[in-house]
Amino acid sequence: MTEYTVEVVIESKPAAKDPEGETIARELLMKNGFGQVHNVRTAKMLKVKLEAENEEQAKNLAERMVRELRLANPVAHIYSINVKG
Amino acid sequence: MNEKKSEEKENAAEPGTSLTPDEQKEVRKRLGREPNALELGMIDIMWSEHCSYKSSRPILKMLPTTGGAVVVGPGYDAGVIDIGGGWCAAFKIETHNHPSAIDPYNGAATGIGGIVRDILSMGARPVALFDSIHFGSLSSPHSRWLLRNVVKGIGDYGNCIGVPTVGGELQFDEGFERNCLVNAACLGFVRKDKIMKSDTAGEGDHIILAGGSTGRDGIHGVTFASKNLSMESEGERPAVQVGDPFTKKLLIDATLELLEAGLLKSLKDLGGGGLTCASSELAFKSGGGADIDISKIHLREKGMSPYEIMLSESQERMLYIADDARKAGVIAILEKYGIRYAEIGKITKGNYRVLDEKGKVLAEMKASLLTEAPTVDRPTKELKFEGKCMKLNKDISFALGQLMASENLCSRSWIYEQYDHEVGDRTVGKPGHDSAVLLAPNGGAVVVKLDSDSLWCNIDPYKGSAGVVCEAYRNVVSCGGKPLACVDNLSFGNPEKPEVMFQFKESVRGISDALKALETPCVGGNVSFYNEDEETKLSIKPTPVIMMVGVIDSLKKLRKCRMNKGEKLVLVGETRAEIGGSEYCRTILGAHCGVLPEPDLAAEKRNGEFVLANWENINAVHDVSRGGIAYALLEMCVQADMGAKITLDPIPMSGKEHVREEDIVFSETHGRYIIATKKAEELLAAAAKAGVPAAEIGIVGGGKIEIDAYQFKLQDMKEGYGKALWKAMEHNKV
Repeated sequence: MTEYTVEVVIESKPAAKDPEGETIARELLMKNGFGQVHNVRTAKMLKVKLEAENEEQAKNLAERMVRELRLANPVAHIYSINVKG
Repeated sequence: MNEKKSEEKENAAEPGTSLTPDEQKEVRKRLGREPNALELGMIDIMWSEHCSYKSSRPILKMLPTTGGAVVVGPGYDAGVIDIGGGWCAAFKIETHNHPSAIDPYNGAATGIGGIVRDILSMGARPVALFDSIHFGSLSSPHSRWLLRNVVKGIGDYGNCIGVPTVGGELQFDEGFERNCLVNAACLGFVRKDKIMKSDTAGEGDHIILAGGSTGRDGIHGVTFASKNLSMESEGERPAVQVGDPFTKKLLIDATLELLEAGLLKSLKDLGGGGLTCASSELAFKSGGGADIDISKIHLREKGMSPYEIMLSESQERMLYIADDARKAGVIAILEKYGIRYAEIGKITKGNYRVLDEKGKVLAEMKASLLTEAPTVDRPTKELKFEGKCMKLNKDISFALGQLMASENLCSRSWIYEQYDHEVGDRTVGKPGHDSAVLLAPNGGAVVVKLDSDSLWCNIDPYKGSAGVVCEAYRNVVSCGGKPLACVDNLSFGNPEKPEVMFQFKESVRGISDALKALETPCVGGNVSFYNEDEETKLSIKPTPVIMMVGVIDSLKKLRKCRMNKGEKLVLVGETRAEIGGSEYCRTILGAHCGVLPEPDLAAEKRNGEFVLANWENINAVHDVSRGGIAYALLEMCVQADMGAKITLDPIPMSGKEHVREEDIVFSETHGRYIIATKKAEELLAAAAKAGVPAAEIGIVGGGKIEIDAYQFKLQDMKEGYGKALWKAMEHNKV
């Protein structure tokens, strides 16, 4: 067994509204000298440390957590999983 | 058909149509030609069940909607009643069942957002929120996931916009496992001379769309709500709407300032059916049409088609109508609040038209074609679940212990302790009591209660629905409120099934008869059909929710409803051995059937009026409803943190000889109250004079609850009643 750090990034579907991201983009960045910015999307990242045989198993384990415990709601969110050594 | 347009958009929502062949024929007849894709899409959404009430409208005519305190009845964004002193209360209830079933947090939050806009649209300041939520069993992880997130969604949204959530109800029934119900309600106050309606716009007035940007979220929301939920609901669905309470807070403040400054001729919120619904209804009610230039609308995404723009149900949007002279003033206020807006067109005397930036007409029809959908006369087929309840010999001590901690009767403090119910400083009757009591600007108070009972209404939709009205009436009376009017929210299964249509018709008939007898007209409401599990084809149990509103004219009449040691307990109203469909049957016997208590509407009104008329001789009062006398007594004891002793012998009953104890203490006969009083003699004399059955049944005091020879430690009961929901939710995180 090896310890892996798995990063799970959960974000709203692209078509969904993101009030927090919009506010950061419009009220903070654009108004304060970062006119190059035209969009900000927020997301939630979970850094999960877990034991697994290999990378694939670590990823599968994280995937199961997300699905079975509804860490992401399939209707509202998309998620990605990255395994770090 | 406009083929070129659909080619442009590869990822555009497909117009398609859910109109029946007959309806499509009707469209062609009224239009005098083939509709193009945009027109068909707009008609499709406006003629959906959700927007048009095509199945329910003919039946809803049964409801009494005028008289008494009614100022604005059904047909507008919210009902309005006169509460005296030049002030009115505007209130409304609406479901957000389908969105909440797939994304409970955002679904419930946007449900709150939508109902708040309805109150604003009448020119009223929203001051209180309420919820009536229904889930499958508490033992199911999915139901707990829904419950946890729905409660958080409601609480967060209300908290952000500074409107307290002051009351509601929670029920569990296995029928809601996949199709939960989330009813959100709101109440606001408005001066009588400041009420706004959506029928006051005139030719040449400017239409200003303000608030959140228009995106692809929620397209087909209402056609989605007019269909059943299926497995493909997961993942495949268009994005659900995400609530944005901070934008909403700005909209609320700006709207109230616009109203105060007298700058608006009319206003309307954008909800189901989006811009199409809001603008066509406003134009139609004002007797005209509108020209809408869709190129002016601020969009969230690039490349949105006219179809998507007109049908988007993005949240936090309002339409303001202003004439030439006052337009600049409206814009100045919107800019002050940093609210995005667009002048999207004008009210006209002609047709309702959608134009592009070059003035090319993309859609044109009479506004009435959109707003006046043909009704459907759906067949009905009788369906009842009466029949005999099994009788088991379970003695009272076992049953009471079980009932107190049961999922449907235990304390709801796990929910309302998550809500901010104090903000605004108006909440004098707090959650956990019979009704919510709010200080009103006229120096009095309003009393509000939401009630429903899917089990009753499933067994017998007529008696069950009338019974729900009676229960709401009693709850308002128990807080000293004189019930004035109500709104209703009717959640049912698929209306294309004759059995569901039967339930609907019987339910509305039951509500109507009760409202007529109690003289509390219905000033608005909402119907939600197609609450059905696509896989099992099971409809939910019929669930009409009644939001009853009453008034207290003097703050001297406010009661804490806390009984004191030594006070006598008086039972008002006759008890019958009506155990069918009771909580005792459901929880102890596992029986979801039986003959329901007969709502005696005349007695209900007489007994309620008796309680109000003798208010000064009453210290604490609680209505007897679910769980019967035993449960009502227990709640009073928990509230006061004090025991009591009652005897069953004096209880007014006809034919008591052959009745078992549990039939007396758990009977759910309507029209009853338990009163704690220092003046039992005066009260009983008044009852005798008024012809109201009443009797002294016990005395307050001690650390035990005693019913004849049965004894329960108050501490045990408090523990079971108070902690059951907490235990279920906190010990099972999923």
